[in-house]
Amino acid sequence: MRWLSLFSLALSATGALAAKAPGKKTPEERFQLYHNKALSSSPVKLADASYRELTSTPRDYSVAVLLTAMDSRYGCQLCREFQPEWELLARSWTNGDRKGESRVVFGTLDFGDGRDVFMSLGLQTAPVLFFFPPSTGPHAAASSEPVRYDFSGGAQAADVVHNWLSKQLPDRPHPPIKRPINWMRWISTFVVLSGTLTACSVAWPYVLPVIQSRTVWAAITLISILLFTSGHMFNHIRNVPYVAGDGKGGISYFASGFQNQYGLETQIVAAMYGVLALSSISLAIKVPRMTDPRNQGIAFAAWFGVLFVVYSLLLSIFRGKNPGYTLSLPPFM
Amino acid sequence: MSQSSGKVKAGQLWSKNKDELTKQLGELKTELGQLRIQKIVSSGTKLTKIHDIRKSIARVLTVINAKQRAQLRLFYKDKKYLPLDLRAKQTRAIRRRLSAEDASRVLEKTKKRQTHFPQRKFAVKNQQIALSHCVTAMVDWKPLTSNLEREGQHHEPLQHRAIMSADPLQALADAGQGKSTRSVLRVLILTLIAGAAISSRLFSVIRFESIIHEFDPWFNFRATKYLVANGFYNFWDWFDDRTWHPLGRVTGGTLYPGLMVTSGAIYHALRALTIPVDIRNICVLLAPAFSGLTAIAAYLLTNEMTPSSSAGLLAALFMGITPGYISRSVAGSYDNEAIAIFLLVFTFYLWIKALKQGSMLWGALCALFYGYMVASWGGYAFITCLLPLHSFVLICMGRYSTRLYVAYTTWYALGTLASMQIPFVGFLPVKTSEHMPALGIFGFLQLLAFLDYVRSTIPSRQFQTFLWLFAGGTFGIGLLGLVIATSAGFIAPWSGRFYSLWDTGYAKIHIPIIASVSEHQPTAWPAFFFDLNMLIWLFPVGVYLCFQHLADEHVFIVVYALFGSYFAGVMVRLMLTLTPVVCVAAAIAISTLLDTYLNAKTPKPEDHQAAKEGSDGKKGKAGLKSSDKPVVGVYAIWGKSLMVSALAVYLLLFVLHCTWVTSNAYSSPSVVLASRLPDGSQHIIDDYREAYQWLRQNTREDAKIMSWWDYGYQIGGMADRPTLVDNNTWNNTHIATVGKAMSSSEEVSYPIMRQHEVDYVLVVFGGLLGYSGDDINKFLWMVRIAEGIWPDEVSERAFFTPRGEYRVDGEATETMKNSLMYKMSYYNYNNLFPPGQAADRMRGARLPEVGPTLSTMEEAFTSENWIIRIYKVKDLDNLGRDHMAAAAFDRGQKKKKSASKKKVPRVLRVE
Repeated sequence: MRWLSLFSLALSATGALAAKAPGKKTPEERFQLYHNKALSSSPVKLADASYRELTSTPRDYSVAVLLTAMDSRYGCQLCREFQPEWELLARSWTNGDRKGESRVVFGTLDFGDGRDVFMSLGLQTAPVLFFFPPSTGPHAAASSEPVRYDFSGGAQAADVVHNWLSKQLPDRPHPPIKRPINWMRWISTFVVLSGTLTACSVAWPYVLPVIQSRTVWAAITLISILLFTSGHMFNHIRNVPYVAGDGKGGISYFASGFQNQYGLETQIVAAMYGVLALSSISLAIKVPRMTDPRNQGIAFAAWFGVLFVVYSLLLSIFRGKNPGYTLSLPPFM
Repeated sequence: MSQSSGKVKAGQLWSKNKDELTKQLGELKTELGQLRIQKIVSSGTKLTKIHDIRKSIARVLTVINAKQRAQLRLFYKDKKYLPLDLRAKQTRAIRRRLSAEDASRVLEKTKKRQTHFPQRKFAVKNQQIALSHCVTAMVDWKPLTSNLEREGQHHEPLQHRAIMSADPLQALADAGQGKSTRSVLRVLILTLIAGAAISSRLFSVIRFESIIHEFDPWFNFRATKYLVANGFYNFWDWFDDRTWHPLGRVTGGTLYPGLMVTSGAIYHALRALTIPVDIRNICVLLAPAFSGLTAIAAYLLTNEMTPSSSAGLLAALFMGITPGYISRSVAGSYDNEAIAIFLLVFTFYLWIKALKQGSMLWGALCALFYGYMVASWGGYAFITCLLPLHSFVLICMGRYSTRLYVAYTTWYALGTLASMQIPFVGFLPVKTSEHMPALGIFGFLQLLAFLDYVRSTIPSRQFQTFLWLFAGGTFGIGLLGLVIATSAGFIAPWSGRFYSLWDTGYAKIHIPIIASVSEHQPTAWPAFFFDLNMLIWLFPVGVYLCFQHLADEHVFIVVYALFGSYFAGVMVRLMLTLTPVVCVAAAIAISTLLDTYLNAKTPKPEDHQAAKEGSDGKKGKAGLKSSDKPVVGVYAIWGKSLMVSALAVYLLLFVLHCTWVTSNAYSSPSVVLASRLPDGSQHIIDDYREAYQWLRQNTREDAKIMSWWDYGYQIGGMADRPTLVDNNTWNNTHIATVGKAMSSSEEVSYPIMRQHEVDYVLVVFGGLLGYSGDDINKFLWMVRIAEGIWPDEVSERAFFTPRGEYRVDGEATETMKNSLMYKMSYYNYNNLFPPGQAADRMRGARLPEVGPTLSTMEEAFTSENWIIRIYKVKDLDNLGRDHMAAAAFDRGQKKKKSASKKKVPRVLRVE
């Protein structure tokens, strides 16, 4: 009798197991399984089967899965940029919530491991970040369909994604992101700083006359004025292209339109301003200080000619930018 | 021992080295010892030898010592200090004498006495000899101050100085006469320049009419009318409930009242003189009038920079007609900048004056005008930062002086008090970061003044070094404290507009409302050339010339030039603050050129060969390398005439350019548009005023108008109707609400509009005319600003096609087509064209065959050229249906109830 009862117990146990095994584990079991996995290494590395298991309904927990393509064959720059941020987010979330109170599992599915999933979802691009809201339980969402994160703004910092996730998970704990201290950076900053200080103290007697030299300061001032007035800040803010093709295989140096410019264009303009200023300075300061009449005449003629021609060129370039402009000077009419 | 019988010869010792010498010394000493023992033990034998050996020991020691010293001398040859016993001995008196530096030291009191009561120098009057070295006092002699003498050495040798020494009285008389004619001429020229400045700004009045321009001036005009009608105190307490509905605006406390008060004062002054002038005309003509004053202020400022009087006049001319300034000061452009630029230049002039003279009076005047500037324009922060920066640079150059102390502290203390009187500014000067440099330098100057006092009383070099270190340390700690106070929140961080000047990417990410304004965009190079023409390349020349003397005021120009050009590069509208310094620098450059080449005297080569040799190596260290040599002059007449005529051509070209730019680009009121008909005649497009007039005449007095914020001031000014948002963008959320209403679908927008009691919606549409400044072109900014507040409900991405294009034609995204703005812009637009031909001329797009339908609002008015379209928001449906169903019913499309219910959930109150 005892044997029988034992046997029946075993039978019922196996029966229970057997009844479960071909079906599914309960959501609670699945969550525990993957949460434990996550505790050792988060995000959990998924494959086709585990992805399907994790995201199957019904589920009373949420899943955030990054579908990515890390292999260099696919050349996905965005994936590689985002990966460290994603891992940081997953790690700090899981570590901040070891008991699993927020009931989120972070997973990563690489294209190499989960080709079928990519195919079945019809994904053409990577990375894709899905958030699967719970379908049962207190936080169940109306639809169990995943929410997709918009990567259109480029690779985001972990904080941005954290905000997005927090918005998807109202009234549950949101463990903050803990960035590891970047020792390398601190050390290198310290080394560079002390190196600079040493170099400064050693080179001080040689640097001092340079710092006190009026000519050096004049040069610095003039160069920065030329940079600013030739639209350098525009290039910096708008990230304009350096040059562009003209559609016929050549290079067009000057952008069309009054509000546009290329990087090279501003450099040309700055150089022209520089030449004009230099020739004016020479005419005003250098030439009247020359003692030899003949040399002075030659220098005057040279600088005067340069000034005249370059100014005329500048006017003609400006006419190109602003078609309604009418003023011009002789050589470049 | 036996071999050491003979005497040692010094001559033989020199060839030996140290070891040998030491050895010999040892031997001699032992021998001496033995001899001494012998002397005691057995008397009488060769005791004279002791003497010889002692002398030998002495010789060896002498040689050793001499060799050692020679080695030491060799060792210390290049060292800074020599051991005392190696130095030249000289006499005790010489060794104890004062150093040259100490001997020339004078008590502070003596120094003052010498500067204030210098030894007088006299010259004989009728003998035509300058006896500048003669120091006896005699009757009838003409005193010459030694100051003049000093100045003459510093500056380049000017000719009239030579004349003066030849015949002082005669020369003085001549100069006096020339001076008076010159000053008459100068006043005449300045008057003409002011006249030119004013008249070149009248294009807009002549072309169009006497009308207030653009957007912000309409608010200023409205405020001025209120001020004139209700008096100053009511204006101060003005709460305006007709803007920012339903919030209202404490207008008196949130504006810069300088402009309105100025024109109000002019208005009342003219009435007191029994000249009744319409307040509108005062407002229209205020900017040109002040531009005349700006030209004069530029003249004064430039005169402080250079002794050449032509520079000031040129600067006044440039300032008067440069498009960079005209852009904001044409007649009708009744904006804060209209008076602010004059105040800016004049404050700078007063600052330079105060700094040069170290005078409290000028400092107080500077503070007064600074206070006026604060009352007039938010750009006062430029002065607040530039003056401390200038002082800081001067301190770093080791040019701290009591003059700087007096000028700066007077300006700061009085100026800050003055600025705090403006309600809008209030306690900002002690709370926000952009005012901190001024406060920091104020404290630093106190410290320096204290140290300077200590230094003058305790003469010790080490102590001074210590003190300077102490000053630097305090400065560093102060800076650190500032950073900590800022991060801890005691001092507000840089305000958005200001911060976006430093971190240029900041605004675009964090404050789209600032980034959306076109005048906050960075400046491309054509804009610089357009606004300043040839001044833009003369500008560096002038700055370089400032480096020649580099007095305190030249440092100011350099600092101003650097920061002005940086700011102008970052923001188009700050071109305005750059323009004055460009004019001053360019005027210095041109006048230097003119002074050099307009000089009729041709130098003789022989004179200067000698002069050159004489003055070589005398100057050199302080100035620029290029100006080491003395000025000779230009030899060739042809060169002079060529240069002068070329300059004349350039100047003429400049005038033509300025006139062309002013007439073509800056004289449009942008309320009234001008276009050319095919036959070349001008055609005025007056849609704006047509629409505003319609609003004024056909709507209730308190009908609320919703429009994008650009048009808020105009609606308030011209239509006199309450608006939801206007150009005073202080409440980002409220603007975002309007943005959301415009960019969402009707179902979402309608509740928003109901909540805000909107009666009419006004949109600007340029599709028919090809007018680029319309709302569809600004639409993305509305979306962005709304997205900043409601990222879940509005998404910029949804307005772009999958291929990332912003389209309005059939390919446009669903979100775009359903947005209220799109619908209002293109509603009924199809009917203008034959079927299938509808096109948007602005964006060059063919529109879909079926136009959008509107169910929550109805078209109320469309102006002649379709630029302004006004829609009336429908009231709630009488039968309690939602508007979609009602509209569908009216169209005769009776839908299944379930379908309509599913499609349109009842969402009256969603927020």
